[in-house]
Amino acid sequence: MSEKTDDRKKVKVLTKERTDLLPFVRFKETELAVAGQSLTRTDDPLKVTGKLKFGADYSPENFLHGKILRSPHPHALIRSINTTKAEQLEGVVAVLTARDVPGRNGFGAIIPDQPVICDDKVRFVGDGVALVAAETERIANEALALIEVDYEPLPAVFDPRDAMKEDAPKIHERGNLLSYDKLRKGRVEEGFEQADVIIERTYQVPFLEHVYLEPDVVMAYPRSDGTVLVEGPMQAPFTVRRNVAPVLGLPISKVRCRQIHMGGGFGGKEDSPIDLGCRAALLAQHTGRPVRIVLEREEVTIQTAKRHPMIMEIKIGALKDGTLVSFQGVIYDEQGAYASLGPKIPPAGGSHVHSMVMMPGPYVIPNVKVDAYLCFTNHPYGGAMRGFGAPQVHFAHEQIIDELAEELGISPLEIRRKNAFELGSETATGQVLDQSVGLRETLEACAQTFEWDRRSRETGYIDRDRTRRRGVGIGMGWYRTSIGTGGDACGANVYVHEDGSVLLYTGITEMGQGAFTVLPQICAEELGILVEDVRLVQPDTDLVPESGPTVGSRSTTLMGNAIIIAARQVKQSLVEAASEMLDIPPERVQFRDRKVFDADNQSNSLEFKQVAARCMATGKRLIGQGWWAPPASSLDPETGQGVPYFVYTYSTHMAQVVVDVETGEVDIEHYVAAFDVGKAINPRALEGQIEGGVAMGLGYALMEEVVLKEGVIQNTNLQDYSIPTALDVPDIRPVILEVANELGPYGAKGIGEMPNIPATPAILNAIANACGGRVRSLPADPEKIFWAIREAGGPPER
Amino acid sequence: MSNIELSFTLNGKKVEAAVAPVKMLVDLLRETFNLTGTKVGCREGECGACTVLMDGEAYNSCLMPAHKVQGREVTTIEGLQQADGSLDPLQEAFMEAGAVQCGFCTPGMILNAKALLSKNPSPDEEEIRMALSGVLCRCTGYRKIVQAVKNAASESRS
Repeated sequence: MSEKTDDRKKVKVLTKERTDLLPFVRFKETELAVAGQSLTRTDDPLKVTGKLKFGADYSPENFLHGKILRSPHPHALIRSINTTKAEQLEGVVAVLTARDVPGRNGFGAIIPDQPVICDDKVRFVGDGVALVAAETERIANEALALIEVDYEPLPAVFDPRDAMKEDAPKIHERGNLLSYDKLRKGRVEEGFEQADVIIERTYQVPFLEHVYLEPDVVMAYPRSDGTVLVEGPMQAPFTVRRNVAPVLGLPISKVRCRQIHMGGGFGGKEDSPIDLGCRAALLAQHTGRPVRIVLEREEVTIQTAKRHPMIMEIKIGALKDGTLVSFQGVIYDEQGAYASLGPKIPPAGGSHVHSMVMMPGPYVIPNVKVDAYLCFTNHPYGGAMRGFGAPQVHFAHEQIIDELAEELGISPLEIRRKNAFELGSETATGQVLDQSVGLRETLEACAQTFEWDRRSRETGYIDRDRTRRRGVGIGMGWYRTSIGTGGDACGANVYVHEDGSVLLYTGITEMGQGAFTVLPQICAEELGILVEDVRLVQPDTDLVPESGPTVGSRSTTLMGNAIIIAARQVKQSLVEAASEMLDIPPERVQFRDRKVFDADNQSNSLEFKQVAARCMATGKRLIGQGWWAPPASSLDPETGQGVPYFVYTYSTHMAQVVVDVETGEVDIEHYVAAFDVGKAINPRALEGQIEGGVAMGLGYALMEEVVLKEGVIQNTNLQDYSIPTALDVPDIRPVILEVANELGPYGAKGIGEMPNIPATPAILNAIANACGGRVRSLPADPEKIFWAIREAGGPPER
Repeated sequence: MSNIELSFTLNGKKVEAAVAPVKMLVDLLRETFNLTGTKVGCREGECGACTVLMDGEAYNSCLMPAHKVQGREVTTIEGLQQADGSLDPLQEAFMEAGAVQCGFCTPGMILNAKALLSKNPSPDEEEIRMALSGVLCRCTGYRKIVQAVKNAASESRS
């Protein structure tokens, strides 16, 4: 590895040099001009001045306010609904119930099992039973209060294990077990017979709320040409379109979804725009007027998807020297009321299968058995949240690895050195990791930067009163790039104009992660121009090619490749024109810094725009269309064996904490997080993903939980649902390593979700190291830590 | 209930408005003056996205009855940019440090930092974190925001 510093922004990156990547992306590290630079984000000037308009900042002309009447019951039959009084209220334009849905009365990211408006039954507190459109928000709210619904409450079920019982209340016709998936590798029983040490533990995690700062908003417009336009912050505009069309009874071609800049999504704005999009579009179609639905924070919490809660049972066995020999896991994954993104999209899509695949961790284990149950309950539903089923299982496997190491009397670092994936390792699904495997490099780089050897010695009491104890912990992880389904392709259009300016069309949405900077960087790199020459068009399903959703840490890698392909199509015209103009053979034409020049004589050069103008004048094609799909994924439904995802990002985190053994309070003193990202296209933006992700993992570790009582959320606003503030998050030190991905643009692979995943167990392991008590159920709040210390026999003596 | 007539200074200009007693400042700014840089995130004073400066102090405008601004000087994020288009050193520093991701908290962050630096031009890290602790950010982990405020402070001193 060579070490280099990005001079523009002082970001240090360790790189393995590569010159032979993806057949079409041949490049030399030293020749990159735009990719790899920490350029200022293209949307920053609008964001720091308050000029950037988010969804709720738009007030369409003559628009109506849409509102949703929600069920107060977790499970009930609807005997009748009377909307007469609401309809009579002045200013109310429409009150809709299930019979007003002209097409399919259902939506969903995978299975359309959630009613747009509930007909005969409600399945969670928050299910929509009627819609209102009114002239003002106040009138709309008053109308909701005037709708009379006669419910017949049904017995409800709130635990996935109870939901599987024979006599459990049936939530859907299909039964409560939505998905049962299994993974079988080797023979676990024989593995346990070999083991010198076996431990068994159970871990549990609650529902988590995304808390994107921008509450959900959608606007729908009926158009005179019979089409319907849906606008809002959406992670998956194509999925919204796919749902709105059948609900309205229209072909997909008559529904247009247009993206508005998003105030944070983290997976949550994959589901909710489908829900709001269908409902707003229905009101718009019915009233013939634009309709805006803006949710209040409480409504966001009650109505939208969450991170899945899970109960995870693990049995793990190792030899004396720490070599892992057998792993057996059971996952009770709670889906809540509707399928959302939980169930399998063959071969390896959906959050539940992902949890199963990731459960044994980034370790070589010859014998593995996982049984994973995904069950409906009468709770809000689980969807995508930064990590898509991986944060839960990392919380479990990273803790049990530490518990096992303690049992064996070896250090947390050693047990990971012994078992961590490396190039050529075989995963639990039998996938041979044949390229871009930098996990061990992240472990060593993290240990060095963190000074693990020193800090792991300086633990124990730090004050004379013997109330505060210091400890250190490791969290290791891996995360896929891509979503493991057949529909994982990205399309990009590149239009070059005669003045050298460029339009870039993609369906990837900006939610804060920096796509609107990184994608133009890739386009500018390929064309040898500057980022400011490229204008990235807001995703609009009428204009941009199908790109799939902005999820799965897939955007930079998959869309990056599509952009490169599109740019190279245009470049073919530019090379032909430049070859004539410079009077050199095509293979000597090069592009850089808005210049097109002879590789053998750089003074023989043209402006990029001169060449573009020549192409336009001579009828050469200046439009490129790129399409890139990752290698097909596979996963045998019976054995869980196959290649579910084509490449992974790897990471190691280390945390130093101080625990007050009397109160259970935790301070995080020092934090290092190392990543193998393949290639950092914009290192500073990538650091931002790391720092924000760690903060989110910290919230999961210490403070966050959607508290439910009989199906009712008790903490619907931010006063009661705490997320980390500037005082809670330490000065996180990111370490970026580049072990190039042969199938990524300039070697890149995904980073969006990875950072928050190992953060939670790193902190939990540090807490256990500090105070001797282990918390196996999130969040590790002071009360749970207090009791964990008591359970361990009180605070350590020395 | 009759409306309350009020006059106040908004981003350097004298303005007048008639508001219902229950009207909150954030809604007055967004609906009447179209200043949508002031955001609504929770309506209970927890997220800080609605922060504005009143006589130089940072307030959550979602908890502030609009009539309370009578005779006072209110600055929103739109008011930080100079007439010639030049940005406040904090705005420059936020861009330079990579302190912006989704941008929804950014106006609140910048205005809280502005209030801090006007009282304390050389804050240490703890003081910065304390001043920003009333604004939630879910994207950045706060590190680059704290760095931006430090940079802006040393920029202004030099």
